[in-house]
Amino acid sequence: MGTIHQPMGIDRMPDAMIDTSSTPRRVSGPNWRFVLRFQSYFVLLALLVVAALLSPERNGQNVFLASRNLLNIIRFASENGIIAIGMTLVILTGGIDLSVGAVLALCAVGSAASMMRYDFDLPMTILFVLAIGTTAGLINGVITTRLRLQSFITTLAMLSVARGIASLWSDGYAIPIAYGDGPDLAPPRYRDLFAGHIDVFGLEIPVQVIYFLGIAVIVALVLARTRFGRHVYAVGGNETAARLSGVNVSTVKIAVFAITGFLVGIAALLHSALVSQGSHIDGNGYELNAIAAVVIGGTSLAGGVGTIAGTVIGALILQILDNILGLRNVQSEYQAILKGVIIVVAVVLQRQRR
Amino acid sequence: MLRLQAVSKSFPGVQALDNVSFDVAPGEIHALVGENGAGKSTLMKILCGVHTDYGGEILLDGERLHLSGPRDAQQHGIAIIHQELNLIPELTIAENIYLGREPRTSLGTLSTKVMQRNAARLLARLDLPVAPSRQVSSLRIGEQQLVEVAKALSLDARTLILDEPTSALSKTEIDRLFAVIASLKQGGVTMIYISHKFDEIFALADRITVLRDGHHIATVDARETTESEIIRLMVGRELADLFPKDTGSLGKDVMRVEHLDLRPSATSQKRSLHDVSFTLREGEILGVAGLMGSGRTELLEAIYGVYPPHQRSGSISVNGRRHSATSPQRSIANGLAFVTEDRKSQSLIPRLSVGQNLTLSALKRVCRLGFPVPRRERAAIDSSVTSLRIKTPGTGVEVEKLSGGNQQKVVLGKCLLTQPSILLLDEPTRGIDVGAKAEIYTLMGKLVRQGTAIVMASSELPELLAMCDRILVLHEGRQAAILDHRDANQVNIMAAATGRANGHDPSADGDRPHA
Repeated sequence: MGTIHQPMGIDRMPDAMIDTSSTPRRVSGPNWRFVLRFQSYFVLLALLVVAALLSPERNGQNVFLASRNLLNIIRFASENGIIAIGMTLVILTGGIDLSVGAVLALCAVGSAASMMRYDFDLPMTILFVLAIGTTAGLINGVITTRLRLQSFITTLAMLSVARGIASLWSDGYAIPIAYGDGPDLAPPRYRDLFAGHIDVFGLEIPVQVIYFLGIAVIVALVLARTRFGRHVYAVGGNETAARLSGVNVSTVKIAVFAITGFLVGIAALLHSALVSQGSHIDGNGYELNAIAAVVIGGTSLAGGVGTIAGTVIGALILQILDNILGLRNVQSEYQAILKGVIIVVAVVLQRQRR
Repeated sequence: MLRLQAVSKSFPGVQALDNVSFDVAPGEIHALVGENGAGKSTLMKILCGVHTDYGGEILLDGERLHLSGPRDAQQHGIAIIHQELNLIPELTIAENIYLGREPRTSLGTLSTKVMQRNAARLLARLDLPVAPSRQVSSLRIGEQQLVEVAKALSLDARTLILDEPTSALSKTEIDRLFAVIASLKQGGVTMIYISHKFDEIFALADRITVLRDGHHIATVDARETTESEIIRLMVGRELADLFPKDTGSLGKDVMRVEHLDLRPSATSQKRSLHDVSFTLREGEILGVAGLMGSGRTELLEAIYGVYPPHQRSGSISVNGRRHSATSPQRSIANGLAFVTEDRKSQSLIPRLSVGQNLTLSALKRVCRLGFPVPRRERAAIDSSVTSLRIKTPGTGVEVEKLSGGNQQKVVLGKCLLTQPSILLLDEPTRGIDVGAKAEIYTLMGKLVRQGTAIVMASSELPELLAMCDRILVLHEGRQAAILDHRDANQVNIMAAATGRANGHDPSADGDRPHA
């Protein structure tokens, strides 16, 4: 016998669930709803507790909970986090960007080359790198919308092209960044600006943390408080309806790719400052990490549903996992396996939420 | 005999069914009516095994029935034809009909031949002249609905639930379906027929059960009741008149369409238009009639700027200025608004809230310095909800959770917030209950009195005849006639729609524009 009736089971229930009777009888809802609604927060919390319990102690001090360690977690989460914020926008519109890792490599090579080879000053370097990232994003967006390709394909192509250019540009080697005063040396302020610390009430806050959280707040506000933000959700939720409602769908799509490219540029500045080089193999696999953070954070790959807060938490969850397993000296292979499991569990939990 | 005893079902926040009891006699056609949200769909979902947790009992031929799922329901001989389509567009007709129970060869591989042959037989029974190997996405909605019917027929059901099966069908197709229903009835099949269309109910049903707000209100013999009696039972009040009579007077021309041609790309399923010209006046309701595939939807879409300019020729002017009709955005700026035929796939963003859907087209109007001002947006949403009487648990609720009629009001509200001077309505009352219909008619009356001009495409002639000042009739994308409401009647509209302008015997039409 057929499966005719099965698809409607889930899809249609809402029709009947909330009805039009003017005084619906309230049935007490389960408290689970609250837990599920904010489930990524709870996962984060649970993970923090577990990590604290599992953490080794040094001099009677919990290593995991040391402020320095916690700040490091955010610091190392920030590159992926910043990229994932852009990825969230793209995924919210129903697209995907596979090129972020490769574009990061291109931008990182660009930053190293502009300082070490072309003798660009600091502002010039920053502008140049951000322009590379934004342009790559723009190209992704324009090709996707104008040629009506799936973004999976466009950005897969961009991945290949960006890596190719990065490799040609760096002659297949990493370009080391050496700081100092004079020609063929990078301005030391570059390092301070993108890999330094800021002293806040005696606490050494890594600058990456500021960039990450700052960008998260700005983008979250843009999503919640602007027409553009509303349009992002509309395009991902129902593209046809959005277009017929007067939303310029192409512009929205091009914009999210361009923003992602721009954010990848920022991530590349942080990256090259941290590792003091720019290499065509930088950012390998970053696209998958970013997608993982987005998905764990509760954004639907189908588009239209998701938040920046979720993505930030997703990025933190991934990093905490790395951190605690590192503290426990667990092999990285197990970390990878565990990450895979977490992704599946997170997505299954998301579905329960509906 | 199918008997329901004190069936109850609640969802978080809502008691959808409350102690509903009635029975359906074997071989009977039992109509089930009620406004949207009355509990009909919930009841049907219980009967076809989608909801398995409910209070009360269902007895089938005296035996207690507790279905474990849809498949179980099918094994008990219960099949359902849904109001909305559950077909997979990329598969062929035959593959859709036999989805999940594909006939196989002795080797265990798919027996396409058997599948096609059986499907062809079913289609022939429905008098649907298309090849079973055709992809479902290439069919119009009405044809797809008939494929759903074929699918249910293929199950050899003894109890058949029809959930508004005609909402997308043309007159000819409805007649075809009714013939099938009659033959099924003769074969002893019990049918539960859900509909908002009273002519159908009175033509088919033996008895009628009315639900309201989850309660069983009455079960009456169809021969001993009247339409107004049923309406009174459904809404719990008398509806003085479904259609507002005074529609005000006509003002100056607001839109002029001249020699509009449309040549959609060959790969799209859209129909072409040839030389359509008309003017629309302030406060006027212009109806667009025509058979399925006659280009009704395409006409509205072309005016709204859905098609790229190179597919279109002719000129459109709005309020005396040229209307380039190159994008929906441009059209909205020029004072047009469009309520689409299919609200679910074309008008609503299902997971956005009621409020966010309402303001989607008019966000600019609640912005200051380019940013939406929450307070202004709130005010716009509240005024829409109040003036359109949208029943929703809250404006933050996802719009997909509302009933069909209320979703349609959200779509209308979204359009009205842009303060359009011309409203394009495509099947504005499809699949919504009589109460919501009346409200939408009243709203249309109010709008035209305020000077809004309306173009309304509809497959329901009574609606067009009651509401419109003039009716433009399309036949295969050509303008067959423009009739004044004083001259228009079902006969001459059908005559024009079937290409027989002299109006002889339109009821015998079997014309399908693209057969």
